[in-house]
Amino acid sequence: MTPLTIAIPSGERSKTFALTCLRKAGLVIPELEQSRSLQFDFPDVTLLLVKDPDVPVYVDVGVADCGIVGKDWILEAARDTYEPVDLGGNNYRFSLIRVAGSTNRIERIATRYPRATRVFLRERGISADVIALNGKIELAALTGLADAIVDIVETGRTLTENGLIENEILMQLSTRFIVNRAALKLKASRLRELIHCLAK
Amino acid sequence: MRLIPDGTRYYQPKDETWREDLRGKLERVLHSWGFDPVQTPSLEVFNPVHPQADKAFKLVDRDGSVLMLRGEYTTSIANLVHGMPEPTYPVRLRYSGTLWVRTRDAELGRQREYTQVGGELLGVSTTQADAEILSVALECLDAVGFPQAAVEIGHPGFVKAVLASTELEETAIQALRTAIHRKNAPELQALLETYKIKGSTREAVLQLLDLYGGVDVLKEAAGIAHSQAAKAALENVRLVAAELPPERFLFDLGIARAWDYYTGVIFQAYTPDFGQPLCGGGRYDVGLPAVGFAVGLERVMTALGEAPNLVPAFAIATSNRIAKVFRTQGKRIVQAWTNNQAELEEAAKAWGVPYLLLENYAIRLADGTKIDLEHL
Repeated sequence: MTPLTIAIPSGERSKTFALTCLRKAGLVIPELEQSRSLQFDFPDVTLLLVKDPDVPVYVDVGVADCGIVGKDWILEAARDTYEPVDLGGNNYRFSLIRVAGSTNRIERIATRYPRATRVFLRERGISADVIALNGKIELAALTGLADAIVDIVETGRTLTENGLIENEILMQLSTRFIVNRAALKLKASRLRELIHCLAK
Repeated sequence: MRLIPDGTRYYQPKDETWREDLRGKLERVLHSWGFDPVQTPSLEVFNPVHPQADKAFKLVDRDGSVLMLRGEYTTSIANLVHGMPEPTYPVRLRYSGTLWVRTRDAELGRQREYTQVGGELLGVSTTQADAEILSVALECLDAVGFPQAAVEIGHPGFVKAVLASTELEETAIQALRTAIHRKNAPELQALLETYKIKGSTREAVLQLLDLYGGVDVLKEAAGIAHSQAAKAALENVRLVAAELPPERFLFDLGIARAWDYYTGVIFQAYTPDFGQPLCGGGRYDVGLPAVGFAVGLERVMTALGEAPNLVPAFAIATSNRIAKVFRTQGKRIVQAWTNNQAELEEAAKAWGVPYLLLENYAIRLADGTKIDLEHL
Protein backbone atom coordinates (compact mmCIF):
# COMPACT_ATOMS: atom_id res chain seq x y z
CA MET A 1 0.00 0.00 0.00
CA THR A 2 1.20 3.56 -0.73
CA PRO A 3 2.46 4.94 2.60
CA LEU A 4 0.84 8.13 3.87
CA THR A 5 2.38 10.81 6.07
CA ILE A 6 -0.24 12.53 8.22
CA ALA A 7 0.27 15.64 10.37
CA ILE A 8 -1.92 15.82 13.46
CA PRO A 9 -1.98 18.19 16.44
CA SER A 10 0.19 17.18 19.39
CA GLY A 11 -2.22 18.57 22.01
CA GLU A 12 -3.85 15.74 23.96
CA ARG A 13 -7.49 16.46 23.11
CA SER A 14 -7.05 17.30 19.42
CA LYS A 15 -4.67 14.37 19.00
CA THR A 16 -7.16 11.91 20.49
CA PHE A 17 -9.91 13.25 18.23
CA ALA A 18 -7.69 13.02 15.12
CA LEU A 19 -6.62 9.46 15.94
CA THR A 20 -10.22 8.42 16.56
CA CYS A 21 -11.24 9.80 13.15
CA LEU A 22 -8.38 8.07 11.34
CA ARG A 23 -9.03 4.72 13.04
CA LYS A 24 -12.74 4.92 12.32
CA ALA A 25 -11.83 5.53 8.68
CA GLY A 26 -10.02 2.19 8.66
CA LEU A 27 -6.37 3.13 9.21
CA VAL A 28 -4.52 0.71 11.44
CA ILE A 29 -2.83 2.90 14.04
CA PRO A 30 -1.70 1.23 17.27
CA GLU A 31 -1.78 3.10 20.59
CA LEU A 32 0.92 5.79 20.54
CA GLU A 33 3.42 5.16 23.30
CA GLN A 34 3.62 7.89 25.89
CA SER A 35 6.98 9.27 24.86
CA ARG A 36 8.55 12.41 23.57
CA SER A 37 8.54 11.08 20.03
CA LEU A 38 7.39 13.56 17.42
CA GLN A 39 7.16 11.02 14.63
CA PHE A 40 5.56 7.56 14.65
CA ASP A 41 6.27 5.13 11.82
CA PHE A 42 3.76 2.34 11.19
CA PRO A 43 3.65 0.04 8.16
CA ASP A 44 1.34 2.18 5.99
CA VAL A 45 1.18 5.41 7.96
CA THR A 46 3.66 7.89 9.40
CA LEU A 47 2.25 10.31 11.95
CA LEU A 48 3.83 13.70 12.58
CA LEU A 49 2.81 15.33 15.87
CA VAL A 50 3.00 19.10 15.46
CA LYS A 51 1.51 22.26 16.98
CA ASP A 52 -1.96 23.08 15.61
CA PRO A 53 -0.91 26.18 13.60
CA ASP A 54 1.87 24.18 11.95
CA VAL A 55 -0.34 21.40 10.51
CA PRO A 56 -1.26 23.47 7.39
CA VAL A 57 2.42 24.35 6.86
CA TYR A 58 3.55 20.71 6.82
CA VAL A 59 0.75 19.82 4.43
CA ASP A 60 1.17 22.78 2.06
CA VAL A 61 4.92 22.29 1.69
CA GLY A 62 4.32 18.58 1.17
CA VAL A 63 6.30 17.13 4.05
CA ALA A 64 2.97 15.62 5.12
CA ASP A 65 0.49 14.28 2.54
CA CYS A 66 -2.47 15.31 4.63
CA GLY A 67 -3.43 16.52 8.08
CA ILE A 68 -6.15 17.12 10.62
CA VAL A 69 -6.58 20.58 12.14
CA GLY A 70 -9.16 23.12 13.28
CA LYS A 71 -10.70 25.53 10.78
CA ASP A 72 -9.39 28.41 12.93
CA TRP A 73 -5.79 27.47 12.16
CA ILE A 74 -6.62 26.79 8.50
CA LEU A 75 -7.91 30.36 8.19
CA GLU A 76 -4.93 31.77 10.03
CA ALA A 77 -2.39 29.83 7.96
CA ALA A 78 -4.06 30.76 4.63
CA ARG A 79 -2.29 27.89 2.88
CA ASP A 80 -3.21 26.55 -0.54
CA THR A 81 -4.26 23.01 0.40
CA TYR A 82 -7.32 20.92 -0.36
CA GLU A 83 -9.87 20.78 2.41
CA PRO A 84 -12.23 17.95 1.49
CA VAL A 85 -13.75 16.79 4.79
CA ASP A 86 -15.44 18.43 7.78
CA LEU A 87 -14.75 16.06 10.66
CA GLY A 88 -17.04 17.88 13.07
CA GLY A 89 -15.60 17.49 16.53
CA ASN A 90 -16.07 20.14 19.16
CA ASN A 91 -18.64 22.74 18.36
CA TYR A 92 -16.75 26.01 18.63
CA ARG A 93 -16.68 29.42 17.02
CA PHE A 94 -14.65 32.53 16.27
CA SER A 95 -16.04 35.43 18.26
CA LEU A 96 -15.45 39.10 18.88
CA ILE A 97 -15.29 39.48 22.66
CA ARG A 98 -15.48 42.58 24.85
CA VAL A 99 -15.70 43.52 28.49
CA ALA A 100 -19.39 43.44 29.39
CA GLY A 101 -20.92 46.89 29.05
CA SER A 102 -18.15 48.53 27.03
CA THR A 103 -19.41 50.70 24.21
CA ASN A 104 -16.37 52.70 23.10
CA ARG A 105 -15.19 52.45 19.50
CA ILE A 106 -12.95 49.45 18.86
CA GLU A 107 -9.47 50.69 18.00
CA ARG A 108 -7.27 47.79 19.10
CA ILE A 109 -8.04 44.09 18.89
CA ALA A 110 -5.85 41.45 20.51
CA THR A 111 -5.82 37.92 19.12
CA ARG A 112 -3.87 34.72 18.55
CA TYR A 113 -5.15 34.86 14.96
CA PRO A 114 -3.89 38.16 13.48
CA ARG A 115 -4.30 37.21 9.83
CA ALA A 116 -7.80 35.77 10.20
CA THR A 117 -8.79 38.77 12.35
CA ARG A 118 -7.67 41.23 9.67
CA VAL A 119 -9.81 39.36 7.13
CA PHE A 120 -12.87 39.53 9.44
CA LEU A 121 -12.30 43.24 9.99
CA ARG A 122 -11.92 43.95 6.29
CA GLU A 123 -15.13 42.03 5.52
CA ARG A 124 -16.98 44.19 8.07
CA GLY A 125 -15.37 47.44 6.99
CA ILE A 126 -13.83 48.02 10.43
CA SER A 127 -10.41 49.66 10.76
CA ALA A 128 -8.64 48.66 13.96
CA ASP A 129 -5.10 47.77 14.94
CA VAL A 130 -4.49 44.07 15.42
CA ILE A 131 -2.22 43.00 18.27
CA ALA A 132 -0.84 39.48 17.97
CA LEU A 133 -0.57 37.65 21.32
CA ASN A 134 0.13 34.03 22.15
CA GLY A 135 -2.48 33.10 24.75
CA LYS A 136 -4.48 34.18 27.82
CA ILE A 137 -6.10 36.63 25.45
CA GLU A 138 -8.86 37.56 27.95
CA LEU A 139 -6.30 39.51 29.92
CA ALA A 140 -5.73 41.88 26.99
CA ALA A 141 -9.35 43.01 27.14
CA LEU A 142 -9.46 43.14 30.95
CA THR A 143 -6.30 45.24 31.26
CA GLY A 144 -7.08 47.61 28.41
CA LEU A 145 -4.25 46.38 26.20
CA ALA A 146 -7.01 46.06 23.62
CA ASP A 147 -10.65 47.22 23.31
CA ALA A 148 -11.74 43.80 22.15
CA ILE A 149 -10.37 40.37 21.43
CA VAL A 150 -10.97 37.82 18.69
CA ASP A 151 -10.65 34.24 19.87
CA ILE A 152 -12.28 30.85 19.70
CA VAL A 153 -15.11 30.17 22.13
CA GLU A 154 -16.37 26.75 23.09
CA THR A 155 -18.57 26.90 26.18
CA GLY A 156 -17.99 30.56 27.00
CA ARG A 157 -17.44 29.73 30.67
CA THR A 158 -13.99 31.41 30.90
CA LEU A 159 -15.48 34.54 29.39
CA THR A 160 -18.37 34.73 31.84
CA GLU A 161 -16.06 34.11 34.79
CA ASN A 162 -13.95 37.08 33.67
CA GLY A 163 -16.82 39.46 33.00
CA LEU A 164 -16.48 39.25 29.23
CA ILE A 165 -19.23 38.76 26.66
CA GLU A 166 -19.37 37.54 23.08
CA ASN A 167 -20.20 40.64 21.12
CA GLU A 168 -20.49 38.90 17.77
CA ILE A 169 -20.06 35.36 16.52
CA LEU A 170 -17.80 35.70 13.46
CA MET A 171 -17.82 32.11 12.25
CA GLN A 172 -18.71 28.58 13.30
CA LEU A 173 -15.68 26.29 13.36
CA SER A 174 -14.91 22.60 13.30
CA THR A 175 -12.05 20.19 12.67
CA ARG A 176 -11.07 19.58 9.04
CA PHE A 177 -9.10 17.09 6.98
CA ILE A 178 -6.67 18.86 4.64
CA VAL A 179 -4.62 17.39 1.78
CA ASN A 180 -1.49 18.45 -0.12
CA ARG A 181 -2.21 19.29 -3.77
CA ALA A 182 0.39 16.99 -5.29
CA ALA A 183 -0.32 14.12 -2.88
CA LEU A 184 -4.03 14.00 -3.75
CA LYS A 185 -3.09 13.37 -7.37
CA LEU A 186 -0.10 11.06 -6.92
CA LYS A 187 -1.63 9.00 -4.11
CA ALA A 188 -5.13 9.34 -5.52
CA SER A 189 -6.53 5.89 -4.82
CA ARG A 190 -5.42 5.79 -1.19
CA LEU A 191 -6.43 9.37 -0.38
CA ARG A 192 -9.72 9.15 -2.23
CA GLU A 193 -10.67 6.14 -0.12
CA LEU A 194 -9.57 7.86 3.08
CA ILE A 195 -11.57 10.99 2.20
CA HIS A 196 -14.59 8.83 1.44
CA CYS A 197 -14.34 7.00 4.77
CA LEU A 198 -13.67 10.14 6.80
CA ALA A 199 -16.70 11.87 5.27
CA LYS A 200 -19.06 9.10 6.38
CA MET B 1 29.33 35.12 5.52
CA ARG B 2 27.55 38.41 5.10
CA LEU B 3 23.83 38.66 5.72
CA ILE B 4 21.67 37.95 2.66
CA PRO B 5 17.90 38.46 2.23
CA ASP B 6 15.45 35.66 3.11
CA GLY B 7 14.96 33.20 0.29
CA THR B 8 18.20 34.00 -1.53
CA ARG B 9 21.29 31.80 -1.69
CA TYR B 10 25.02 31.69 -2.11
CA TYR B 11 25.82 28.84 -4.49
CA GLN B 12 29.15 27.18 -3.70
CA PRO B 13 31.07 25.61 -6.62
CA LYS B 14 29.55 22.17 -6.07
CA ASP B 15 25.96 23.48 -6.11
CA GLU B 16 26.53 26.02 -8.87
CA THR B 17 28.14 23.40 -11.09
CA TRP B 18 25.08 21.23 -10.59
CA ARG B 19 22.72 24.15 -11.20
CA GLU B 20 24.56 25.05 -14.40
CA ASP B 21 24.44 21.42 -15.54
CA LEU B 22 20.68 21.07 -14.92
CA ARG B 23 19.99 24.40 -16.56
CA GLY B 24 22.01 23.32 -19.59
CA LYS B 25 20.06 20.06 -19.85
CA LEU B 26 16.74 21.92 -19.82
CA GLU B 27 17.95 24.46 -22.37
CA ARG B 28 19.24 21.73 -24.67
CA VAL B 29 15.86 19.96 -24.69
CA LEU B 30 14.11 23.20 -25.64
CA HIS B 31 16.79 23.95 -28.20
CA SER B 32 16.40 20.53 -29.80
CA TRP B 33 12.67 21.22 -30.32
CA GLY B 34 13.54 24.41 -32.20
CA PHE B 35 13.04 26.99 -29.46
CA ASP B 36 15.29 30.05 -29.87
CA PRO B 37 16.72 31.86 -26.86
CA VAL B 38 15.58 35.34 -25.75
CA GLN B 39 16.18 37.48 -22.68
CA THR B 40 14.11 40.26 -21.13
CA PRO B 41 15.13 43.04 -18.69
CA SER B 42 15.28 42.11 -15.01
CA LEU B 43 14.03 45.63 -14.30
CA GLU B 44 10.51 46.33 -15.54
CA VAL B 45 8.37 49.44 -15.39
CA PHE B 46 5.80 49.01 -12.61
CA ASN B 47 2.39 48.28 -14.07
CA PRO B 48 -0.50 47.88 -11.60
CA VAL B 49 -2.38 45.45 -13.87
CA HIS B 50 0.63 43.14 -14.32
CA PRO B 51 -0.23 39.67 -12.92
CA GLN B 52 2.71 39.86 -10.47
CA ALA B 53 2.31 43.57 -9.61
CA ASP B 54 1.34 43.01 -5.95
CA LYS B 55 4.00 40.41 -5.36
CA ALA B 56 6.97 42.11 -7.01
CA PHE B 57 9.98 43.82 -5.45
CA LYS B 58 9.76 47.54 -6.25
CA LEU B 59 12.58 49.98 -6.91
CA VAL B 60 12.66 53.68 -7.65
CA ASP B 61 14.12 54.87 -10.95
CA ARG B 62 16.18 58.09 -11.18
CA ASP B 63 13.14 60.14 -12.23
CA GLY B 64 11.18 58.84 -9.23
CA SER B 65 9.02 56.39 -11.22
CA VAL B 66 8.53 52.91 -9.81
CA LEU B 67 10.23 49.86 -11.27
CA MET B 68 9.69 46.22 -10.40
CA LEU B 69 11.97 43.21 -10.55
CA ARG B 70 10.90 40.60 -13.09
CA GLY B 71 8.37 38.27 -11.44
CA GLU B 72 7.48 36.14 -14.47
CA TYR B 73 8.50 35.92 -18.12
CA THR B 74 5.24 35.46 -20.03
CA THR B 75 4.03 39.07 -20.10
CA SER B 76 7.43 40.41 -21.03
CA ILE B 77 7.91 37.84 -23.79
CA ALA B 78 4.58 38.80 -25.34
CA ASN B 79 5.92 42.39 -25.49
CA LEU B 80 9.17 41.14 -26.98
CA VAL B 81 7.30 39.33 -29.75
CA HIS B 82 5.32 42.50 -30.56
CA GLY B 83 8.68 44.11 -31.30
CA MET B 84 9.78 41.36 -33.69
CA PRO B 85 10.14 42.49 -37.30
CA GLU B 86 7.59 40.47 -39.31
CA PRO B 87 7.82 37.13 -37.51
CA THR B 88 6.74 33.96 -39.27
CA TYR B 89 4.35 32.25 -36.87
CA PRO B 90 4.46 30.06 -34.94
CA VAL B 91 7.38 31.51 -33.03
CA ARG B 92 9.14 29.22 -30.55
CA LEU B 93 11.08 31.00 -27.81
CA ARG B 94 12.93 29.79 -24.74
CA TYR B 95 14.15 31.70 -21.74
CA SER B 96 16.26 31.07 -18.69
CA GLY B 97 16.79 33.56 -15.92
CA THR B 98 16.16 34.87 -12.43
CA LEU B 99 12.76 35.84 -11.03
CA TRP B 100 11.93 37.55 -7.75
CA VAL B 101 8.89 37.34 -5.45
CA ARG B 102 8.67 39.82 -2.60
CA THR B 103 5.61 38.41 -0.84
CA ARG B 104 6.55 34.74 -0.61
CA ASP B 105 7.82 33.16 2.62
CA ALA B 106 11.10 31.36 2.08
CA GLU B 107 10.40 27.67 2.66
CA LEU B 108 11.32 24.21 1.46
CA GLY B 109 11.23 24.42 -2.35
CA ARG B 110 10.22 28.10 -2.25
CA GLN B 111 12.83 30.81 -2.67
CA ARG B 112 12.28 34.52 -3.19
CA GLU B 113 15.02 34.67 -5.81
CA TYR B 114 14.83 31.73 -8.16
CA THR B 115 15.42 30.61 -11.72
CA GLN B 116 12.94 29.58 -14.38
CA VAL B 117 13.76 27.82 -17.60
CA GLY B 118 10.82 27.78 -19.97
CA GLY B 119 9.42 27.87 -23.47
CA GLU B 120 6.64 29.68 -25.28
CA LEU B 121 4.95 28.68 -28.54
CA LEU B 122 3.31 31.80 -29.92
CA GLY B 123 1.05 32.67 -32.81
CA VAL B 124 -1.03 29.50 -33.18
CA SER B 125 -3.91 28.06 -31.19
CA THR B 126 -4.04 24.36 -31.98
CA THR B 127 -4.26 21.23 -29.87
CA GLN B 128 -1.04 20.05 -31.51
CA ALA B 129 0.71 23.14 -30.16
CA ASP B 130 -0.66 22.42 -26.67
CA ALA B 131 0.48 18.81 -26.93
CA GLU B 132 3.92 19.91 -28.12
CA ILE B 133 4.43 22.09 -25.04
CA LEU B 134 3.32 19.23 -22.80
CA SER B 135 5.72 16.86 -24.55
CA VAL B 136 8.63 19.29 -24.24
CA ALA B 137 7.83 19.82 -20.55
CA LEU B 138 7.84 16.08 -19.93
CA GLU B 139 11.09 15.63 -21.86
CA CYS B 140 12.65 18.42 -19.77
CA LEU B 141 11.68 16.59 -16.57
CA ASP B 142 13.08 13.32 -17.93
CA ALA B 143 16.33 15.10 -18.83
CA VAL B 144 16.91 16.36 -15.29
CA GLY B 145 16.09 13.03 -13.65
CA PHE B 146 12.37 12.62 -13.00
CA PRO B 147 11.40 9.53 -15.00
CA GLN B 148 8.37 9.04 -12.75
CA ALA B 149 7.03 12.59 -13.03
CA ALA B 150 3.39 12.84 -14.06
CA VAL B 151 1.80 15.81 -15.80
CA GLU B 152 -1.69 16.79 -14.74
CA ILE B 153 -3.87 18.49 -17.35
CA GLY B 154 -6.92 20.61 -16.66
CA HIS B 155 -8.98 23.36 -18.25
CA PRO B 156 -10.30 26.17 -16.03
CA GLY B 157 -12.96 26.87 -18.68
CA PHE B 158 -14.69 23.64 -17.69
CA VAL B 159 -15.39 24.68 -14.09
CA LYS B 160 -16.27 28.16 -15.33
CA ALA B 161 -18.84 26.74 -17.78
CA VAL B 162 -20.40 24.39 -15.23
CA LEU B 163 -20.68 27.23 -12.72
CA ALA B 164 -22.19 29.49 -15.36
CA SER B 165 -25.06 26.99 -15.65
CA THR B 166 -26.08 27.93 -12.07
CA GLU B 167 -26.96 31.41 -13.44
CA LEU B 168 -25.78 32.96 -10.15
CA GLU B 169 -24.27 36.43 -9.89
CA GLU B 170 -20.53 37.02 -9.77
CA THR B 171 -19.92 37.06 -5.98
CA ALA B 172 -21.79 33.76 -5.59
CA ILE B 173 -19.82 32.24 -8.47
CA GLN B 174 -16.55 33.33 -6.82
CA ALA B 175 -17.60 31.74 -3.51
CA LEU B 176 -18.37 28.45 -5.29
CA ARG B 177 -15.10 28.70 -7.17
CA THR B 178 -13.08 29.08 -3.97
CA ALA B 179 -14.76 26.01 -2.45
CA ILE B 180 -14.08 24.04 -5.64
CA HIS B 181 -10.44 25.16 -5.71
CA ARG B 182 -10.02 23.70 -2.21
CA LYS B 183 -12.16 20.63 -3.04
CA ASN B 184 -14.07 21.66 0.05
CA ALA B 185 -17.14 19.42 -0.20
CA PRO B 186 -18.95 20.49 3.00
CA GLU B 187 -18.59 24.18 2.17
CA LEU B 188 -19.67 23.67 -1.42
CA GLN B 189 -22.78 21.79 -0.28
CA ALA B 190 -23.62 24.55 2.19
CA LEU B 191 -23.20 27.24 -0.50
CA LEU B 192 -25.40 25.35 -2.97
CA GLU B 193 -28.00 25.08 -0.21
CA THR B 194 -27.78 28.84 0.47
CA TYR B 195 -28.05 29.71 -3.22
CA LYS B 196 -30.92 27.23 -3.68
CA ILE B 197 -29.20 25.31 -6.49
CA LYS B 198 -30.95 21.98 -6.89
CA GLY B 199 -31.32 18.93 -9.10
CA SER B 200 -28.90 18.12 -11.89
CA THR B 201 -27.10 21.50 -11.69
CA ARG B 202 -26.32 20.83 -8.02
CA GLU B 203 -25.08 17.32 -8.81
CA ALA B 204 -22.90 18.61 -11.65
CA VAL B 205 -21.23 21.24 -9.44
CA LEU B 206 -20.60 18.70 -6.68
CA GLN B 207 -19.15 16.25 -9.15
CA LEU B 208 -16.46 18.77 -10.13
CA LEU B 209 -14.67 17.92 -6.87
CA ASP B 210 -14.15 14.35 -7.93
CA LEU B 211 -13.04 14.78 -11.55
CA TYR B 212 -9.37 13.94 -11.00
CA GLY B 213 -7.36 10.85 -11.90
CA GLY B 214 -6.58 8.90 -15.07
CA VAL B 215 -8.12 9.17 -18.50
CA ASP B 216 -11.51 7.83 -17.25
CA VAL B 217 -12.07 11.27 -15.76
CA LEU B 218 -12.81 12.57 -19.26
CA LYS B 219 -15.74 10.15 -19.61
CA GLU B 220 -17.11 11.12 -16.20
CA ALA B 221 -16.77 14.79 -17.09
CA ALA B 222 -18.74 14.24 -20.31
CA GLY B 223 -21.72 13.32 -18.12
CA ILE B 224 -21.93 16.85 -16.70
CA ALA B 225 -20.80 18.79 -19.79
CA HIS B 226 -24.20 20.11 -20.89
CA SER B 227 -23.40 23.62 -22.12
CA GLN B 228 -21.53 24.40 -25.34
CA ALA B 229 -18.68 25.99 -23.38
CA ALA B 230 -18.28 22.94 -21.13
CA LYS B 231 -18.32 20.59 -24.11
CA ALA B 232 -15.75 22.72 -25.92
CA ALA B 233 -13.39 22.81 -22.92
CA LEU B 234 -13.64 19.06 -22.46
CA GLU B 235 -13.16 18.38 -26.17
CA ASN B 236 -10.05 20.56 -26.07
CA VAL B 237 -8.56 18.48 -23.24
CA ARG B 238 -9.55 15.25 -25.01
CA LEU B 239 -7.86 16.29 -28.26
CA VAL B 240 -4.67 17.35 -26.49
CA ALA B 241 -4.60 14.10 -24.51
CA ALA B 242 -5.09 12.07 -27.69
CA GLU B 243 -1.70 13.35 -28.92
CA LEU B 244 0.13 12.17 -25.80
CA PRO B 245 1.19 8.85 -24.25
CA PRO B 246 -1.50 8.15 -21.60
CA GLU B 247 0.73 6.60 -18.92
CA ARG B 248 2.45 9.84 -17.94
CA PHE B 249 -0.64 12.06 -17.81
CA LEU B 250 -3.31 12.76 -15.19
CA PHE B 251 -6.39 14.92 -15.39
CA ASP B 252 -8.26 17.28 -13.11
CA LEU B 253 -11.34 18.92 -14.59
CA GLY B 254 -12.00 20.56 -11.22
CA ILE B 255 -9.15 23.08 -11.51
CA ALA B 256 -10.63 26.46 -10.71
CA ARG B 257 -7.54 28.68 -10.48
CA ALA B 258 -6.57 31.48 -12.87
CA TRP B 259 -9.50 31.23 -15.28
CA ASP B 260 -9.21 34.91 -16.09
CA TYR B 261 -5.60 34.33 -17.16
CA TYR B 262 -5.50 30.96 -18.89
CA THR B 263 -7.92 30.51 -21.79
CA GLY B 264 -7.23 26.86 -22.59
CA VAL B 265 -5.53 23.83 -21.08
CA ILE B 266 -3.35 24.30 -18.01
CA PHE B 267 -0.98 21.80 -16.50
CA GLN B 268 1.41 21.10 -13.64
CA ALA B 269 3.91 18.28 -13.22
CA TYR B 270 4.51 16.34 -10.02
CA THR B 271 7.01 13.70 -8.99
CA PRO B 272 6.35 11.08 -6.28
CA ASP B 273 7.17 12.12 -2.70
CA PHE B 274 7.62 15.79 -3.49
CA GLY B 275 4.63 17.93 -2.59
CA GLN B 276 5.11 20.82 -4.99
CA PRO B 277 4.82 21.16 -8.78
CA LEU B 278 8.13 21.01 -10.66
CA CYS B 279 6.78 22.86 -13.66
CA GLY B 280 3.59 24.41 -14.87
CA GLY B 281 2.06 26.18 -17.79
CA GLY B 282 -0.90 26.57 -20.06
CA ARG B 283 -2.57 28.39 -22.92
CA TYR B 284 -3.44 32.08 -22.77
CA ASP B 285 -4.89 33.39 -26.02
CA VAL B 286 -5.14 37.05 -25.07
CA GLY B 287 -4.19 39.05 -28.13
CA LEU B 288 -1.49 36.84 -29.61
CA PRO B 289 -2.34 33.15 -29.01
CA ALA B 290 0.32 31.44 -26.91
CA VAL B 291 1.02 28.33 -24.91
CA GLY B 292 4.00 27.98 -22.61
CA PHE B 293 5.57 26.32 -19.60
CA ALA B 294 8.38 26.88 -17.15
CA VAL B 295 10.47 24.68 -14.87
CA GLY B 296 11.57 25.96 -11.45
CA LEU B 297 15.29 25.21 -11.40
CA GLU B 298 15.97 25.46 -7.65
CA ARG B 299 12.81 23.47 -6.89
CA VAL B 300 14.09 20.76 -9.20
CA MET B 301 17.32 20.78 -7.18
CA THR B 302 15.37 20.51 -3.91
CA ALA B 303 13.34 17.60 -5.26
CA LEU B 304 16.47 15.79 -6.50
CA GLY B 305 18.32 16.22 -3.19
CA GLU B 306 22.10 16.38 -2.94
CA ALA B 307 24.39 17.88 -5.55
CA PRO B 308 26.76 15.34 -7.10
CA ASN B 309 30.44 15.72 -6.16
CA LEU B 310 32.56 18.10 -8.19
CA VAL B 311 34.62 16.48 -10.92
CA PRO B 312 38.22 17.55 -10.24
CA ALA B 313 40.48 18.95 -12.94
CA PHE B 314 42.52 16.44 -14.98
CA ALA B 315 45.92 17.78 -13.98
CA ILE B 316 48.07 20.58 -12.61
CA ALA B 317 50.58 21.71 -15.24
CA THR B 318 53.90 23.48 -14.67
CA SER B 319 54.29 24.26 -18.36
CA ASN B 320 52.04 26.59 -20.32
CA ARG B 321 52.80 24.75 -23.53
CA ILE B 322 51.81 21.32 -22.19
CA ALA B 323 48.72 22.71 -20.47
CA LYS B 324 47.52 24.19 -23.75
CA VAL B 325 47.96 20.87 -25.59
CA PHE B 326 45.77 19.07 -23.09
CA ARG B 327 43.17 21.86 -22.91
CA THR B 328 42.68 21.71 -26.67
CA GLN B 329 41.85 18.03 -26.13
CA GLY B 330 38.99 19.15 -23.85
CA LYS B 331 40.71 18.40 -20.53
CA ARG B 332 40.58 20.75 -17.54
CA ILE B 333 44.12 21.76 -16.65
CA VAL B 334 44.98 23.89 -13.63
CA GLN B 335 48.04 26.15 -13.96
CA ALA B 336 50.89 25.76 -11.44
CA TRP B 337 51.14 28.77 -9.12
CA THR B 338 54.52 27.91 -7.58
CA ASN B 339 57.76 26.09 -8.39
CA ASN B 340 57.46 24.03 -5.22
CA GLN B 341 56.49 20.60 -6.57
CA ALA B 342 55.63 19.20 -3.14
CA GLU B 343 53.09 21.97 -2.62
CA LEU B 344 51.53 21.25 -6.02
CA GLU B 345 51.28 17.53 -5.27
CA GLU B 346 49.69 18.19 -1.91
CA ALA B 347 47.02 20.49 -3.42
CA ALA B 348 46.35 18.03 -6.26
CA LYS B 349 45.75 15.23 -3.74
CA ALA B 350 43.41 17.43 -1.68
CA TRP B 351 41.38 18.29 -4.78
CA GLY B 352 41.44 14.77 -6.17
CA VAL B 353 43.38 15.88 -9.28
CA PRO B 354 45.02 12.69 -10.63
CA TYR B 355 48.07 14.03 -12.54
CA LEU B 356 50.88 16.54 -12.34
CA LEU B 357 52.09 17.56 -15.82
CA LEU B 358 55.78 18.52 -16.09
CA GLU B 359 57.65 19.63 -19.20
CA ASN B 360 58.58 16.14 -20.39
CA TYR B 361 56.51 13.68 -18.41
CA ALA B 362 53.55 13.34 -16.05
CA ILE B 363 53.36 12.01 -12.50
CA ARG B 364 50.38 9.87 -11.51
CA LEU B 365 49.88 11.05 -7.95
CA ALA B 366 48.09 7.92 -6.69
CA ASP B 367 51.34 5.89 -6.81
CA GLY B 368 54.00 8.42 -7.86
CA THR B 369 54.82 6.69 -11.18
CA LYS B 370 56.19 8.65 -14.09
CA ILE B 371 54.17 8.42 -17.31
CA ASP B 372 55.00 9.53 -20.85
CA LEU B 373 52.84 12.46 -21.90
CA GLU B 374 51.70 10.69 -25.05
CA HIS B 375 50.36 7.78 -22.94
CA LEU B 376 47.96 10.00 -21.01
